[in-house]
Amino acid sequence: MRLVVYLLPRVLAALVTLFGVSVLVFLSLRLLPGGYADILLGPFVTAEARAIIAQRYGLDQPLVLQYLRWVWAMLGGDFGISMVTQRPVIDELLRRAPVTLQLALIALGVALAVGYPLGVLSGTRAAKTRKGRDFGRVIGAMGASVPDFVLGSVLIFVFSVWSLWFRVGGYVPFSTDPVGNLRTMLLPGFTLSVFGVALILRTTRDAVLRVMTEGHITAAVARGDPPRVIIRRHILRNAAIPVVTVVATYFGFLLGGAVIVEVLFSVPGVGLYIFNGLLNRDYAIVQAGVLLAAVVFISINMLADVLYALIDPRVGATR
Amino acid sequence: MSAPLVDIAGLVIGYDAAARQVRALDSASLQVREGETLAIVGESGSGKTTLGMAAGRLLPPEAQLLDGTITVAGVDVMQADDAALRRLRREKLGFVFQNPSTALDPTMRIGRQVALALGGQPGPEAVAALLARAELGDPERVLRAFPHELSGGMAQRVVIAMAIARAPQLLIADEPTASLDASIREKVMATLVRLRAESGASLVILSHDLRLIGRHADRVAVMYGGRIVELGAVAQVLQAPVHPYTRALLAAAAGNEVPGARLEPIQGTPPMLEGRCEACAYAPRCTFSVARCNSERPEAREVAGRLVVCHRAEEAIATGAMQPQEAR
Repeated sequence: MRLVVYLLPRVLAALVTLFGVSVLVFLSLRLLPGGYADILLGPFVTAEARAIIAQRYGLDQPLVLQYLRWVWAMLGGDFGISMVTQRPVIDELLRRAPVTLQLALIALGVALAVGYPLGVLSGTRAAKTRKGRDFGRVIGAMGASVPDFVLGSVLIFVFSVWSLWFRVGGYVPFSTDPVGNLRTMLLPGFTLSVFGVALILRTTRDAVLRVMTEGHITAAVARGDPPRVIIRRHILRNAAIPVVTVVATYFGFLLGGAVIVEVLFSVPGVGLYIFNGLLNRDYAIVQAGVLLAAVVFISINMLADVLYALIDPRVGATR
Repeated sequence: MSAPLVDIAGLVIGYDAAARQVRALDSASLQVREGETLAIVGESGSGKTTLGMAAGRLLPPEAQLLDGTITVAGVDVMQADDAALRRLRREKLGFVFQNPSTALDPTMRIGRQVALALGGQPGPEAVAALLARAELGDPERVLRAFPHELSGGMAQRVVIAMAIARAPQLLIADEPTASLDASIREKVMATLVRLRAESGASLVILSHDLRLIGRHADRVAVMYGGRIVELGAVAQVLQAPVHPYTRALLAAAAGNEVPGARLEPIQGTPPMLEGRCEACAYAPRCTFSVARCNSERPEAREVAGRLVVCHRAEEAIATGAMQPQEAR
């Protein structure tokens, strides 16, 4: 009951957000210069040829009508077809989703495995020194300020010059060749994880520092509990609350398709697909891809809200 | 008489601030006897919390020990290694904090927190029995509750139960009832005092509530400017105060006024010391000060059956300007 009351307004807000995203992605695509006809037919064609293309895909209709027809079709489960391949967009997206999911899981796993322990270590150390300075701030600032295309380019350069086990490009599914799959997926995964490491490290560090000033930590110290016990019993759990939110946002961002990294490393995921769709002005791909990414992002965040309420009994409690 | 449970001798503690060091304790000396209830009173900033927390070395990292010693149950607290300090805290000390709502882990059920305070894996009966000793009704419900689901008074009883869980020799309660509703303060305080009496432990209450202290403490130490300026039996100090600061404190406290008389606020603000005070720290606010008070540091002397840090204690008693106060 507590969860229902807590989640209902979030679901309503999510629907409003999705409506906004659909309008934005629809409009911004139409506002881009050039259309599918230009891409398909090239610059030297008659106006009649363009009109035929426009008519075939309904692009000559008023924008409002186009938008309504798109939304109506989606409500019926039809996300449209790719104008380039003439195949349903949703099939193509679903086929690529596992690739993006794997990439996201690698990045999230590395970010959590490195960022959370370092954040706890950094936070507890910073609390002991009077100025609160330690390595955490440096690593956090560095990791958060290196753009992934810079880091990715450096990694590609290094590993294509000295072919050190890793491979750039040449994706194979995990099910057919696990080792070959990891050889191509680990580098882009690492690249994506660096921002996550910094994000989680800083969030954890700040949360730990804040929790350590709370009265119940002093009370635990006053009871004579050793530091390791206090960290395990009280600090990890209390500090996890803000970290859950940040992790969810980060994971949602990863699942939405890490476009730049997928393009850079030729990973055939959702991001690369949307990117190519955009270049071809293949509207249905971009529209469905972005909207579904938004759905995933919002769902993950809602899941985080539930998790949040499970960790912190005060959340959503009515007094 | 056996050695005192707590022996604080010439304790000087400073806090590192931005560019200077603020002195919280300016050579404070105090002994706590076994089995007694001692109250430490003073305004905010008088150093009473620093003194209380120093007994368990629970001071923030910016606190610096500059001089003096503090011995609790035979352990030199400031020099003890981490393991010895933890053993002292675990076996000999029990702390009750001002705000019970922050002294409990918000993400953990009460039952588990109390069980952890008992150490090891006590049975549910042991946990419930401990809560019953702290006069918590409906222990079943309390055990399953999270801290935010309890009232302030109940939460403070849980904190008290956790403090006495391992039968400490010394209980230190920092404003234990200040955050509670006035209607339940007396009841919670009575529980604390009863538990102290049952266990034979010593209890140190840090407070500014003079009425509360008058009812429950054996001795009272009045702190000002990081020193104990008057120390004696409660009846003596509260009914016939000697130090001008004690008198001012009593005059400013509600509940001590003669019907029809006004409450007299203490003029001025407490001092912010940056080094050893070479005068009487209270002199600038004292209506009774003379030139000597501003130039010479007073030392503790025995006057009228108690310790007083005042150059003019004898004159103060003799003058009619300082009538003994009625304590209720």
